[in-house]
Amino acid sequence: MKVLRRAFPYLVLAIISVPFLTMYTAFFFQSVSERISLGIIPEKIGLSNFSFLWQPIPWGLEETSVWSVLLNTNLFALASGAIVTVVCLLAGYALSRIAFRGKSFFLSLQLMLHAFPGPIVLIAVFLFLLYLKLLYKIPGVALARASLEIPLGIWMIKGFFDAIPLDIERAAVVDGCSRLQVWYKIFLPLIKPGIAAVFIWGFLFAWHDFIYVYTLLPGKVRLMSTLIQGLIATEVMDYGLLAALSLFYMIPPLLLFIVLQKALLKVPVLGGKGGA
Amino acid sequence: MSFTKITQTYEWAFVGLDNFRRLFGGGDPLIPRIIKNTVIYVAGGLPVTIGVALLVSLLSMRMRRAAGLFFRAIFFLPRTIPPVVWGFLWAWGFEGTRYGIFNSILAGFGLSPIYWFIKYPMLIVIFANGFLGAALAMLVFTSAIEAIPVDYIRAAEVDGASFWQLSIYVIIPLLRWPILTMTIWHLMSFINSYVYIMLITKGGPYYATEVWSLYGYHSAFQTHQYGYGSSLMMVLILVNAILFVIIWKIFGIGRLLRPSGVEV
Repeated sequence: MKVLRRAFPYLVLAIISVPFLTMYTAFFFQSVSERISLGIIPEKIGLSNFSFLWQPIPWGLEETSVWSVLLNTNLFALASGAIVTVVCLLAGYALSRIAFRGKSFFLSLQLMLHAFPGPIVLIAVFLFLLYLKLLYKIPGVALARASLEIPLGIWMIKGFFDAIPLDIERAAVVDGCSRLQVWYKIFLPLIKPGIAAVFIWGFLFAWHDFIYVYTLLPGKVRLMSTLIQGLIATEVMDYGLLAALSLFYMIPPLLLFIVLQKALLKVPVLGGKGGA
Repeated sequence: MSFTKITQTYEWAFVGLDNFRRLFGGGDPLIPRIIKNTVIYVAGGLPVTIGVALLVSLLSMRMRRAAGLFFRAIFFLPRTIPPVVWGFLWAWGFEGTRYGIFNSILAGFGLSPIYWFIKYPMLIVIFANGFLGAALAMLVFTSAIEAIPVDYIRAAEVDGASFWQLSIYVIIPLLRWPILTMTIWHLMSFINSYVYIMLITKGGPYYATEVWSLYGYHSAFQTHQYGYGSSLMMVLILVNAILFVIIWKIFGIGRLLRPSGVEV
């Protein structure tokens, strides 16, 4: 009875997670084997599914090279991440340190924008980009995509700015720095982790995004997410190819995360206040 | 835009309240079906999200640390993989032919394949979205449980409370604020989310999983009635705004707006 009681949570969770584990393992084994039987048992293990790395992917009558798609996706996500970072850094500083009229209104407006989630305002964004002649172009869509992440990003960065002691800013001002100099000479080095966080935030959402890319960038400029969706939507799904491609699609954000973490998490010492 | 009629030519033609009259006045024969779908979808998905999240976080706290982390990782994974891949996993898992994951397991036991998407389209969509929401809710609940002073739990244990008694009479009452926030939050996200439905079933078969927001998307980008689609979305935005005001009032987000900074 006692053993049973101790085993109980493990049992329940194991039962709930069986379908997931099945799907995950099937997904992984399918990517490295030619076919799987009984759902999860791989047969003929090999890398034949990853052949898209050196030869184009057949796509109806035409073919797509995965590298050009990857390049497009990178451009899109980097542009979106950069826009989010720059706007949030400027706005976050202003909202954290400068008193101006309508500030709290502006801040609550940023939160209120959450009632208008991305997928819902998509139609308006579509027509807006159409009139600006930015539709079906990567920069335009990256801009639209970035604008969705900016509200929360501003709140995130504002938190980082708030955490910096006022004395540092005062000292800099006394030494003759202007507002802008304070911003880029004193503050930016101190909030490197914040910059990394916001950039990863913007990059990741753009990288993972499907609905905006699918609707606003159809046709020639194909990104990873729409490529995978297109392959799902074909008559006969090539599961091996899809699983391998999906794995490939998930690698770059991980790499970016590791690289940025090393580069940006080194914060200069905050001095006597006992910061980092 | 919701008061206009914009079609493929992208010309603005002001039509006043016509779109809304068509919406609520029975001008669109699909609307009752879609409202029914949306209600089923939201009412089915919300308990799945909150229930699974509570169950996982409660049970994983009772385990050894490593095992608890392992299970939480499994349930958090859906948040970290891209939506397209998550959609692909479900579309493939419940594929109606014998190549789908679950059908090929069934075939191993000598059973004939089940046409999951024709028989249970709504259930699949609800679970796909429910587990996705559960990932976030679970994280919130777990940290909330960890914040409960351990004395409360010890006291209940000394009094001889079983796991269920402990959960129902001690932990869940202490978690009512996180539960309430997460419920409203996911209510909003269920109302608004159509991306996963689009990826998994495309609203089919025969409008079986076509919910309000997806219908808005389809009216704009499939049948090119951008004005009508906007009025459908407008209704959702109103609902969102109301829910948002509720969250705002309950949790006093205004406190976050305190000023800070130096004057130069």
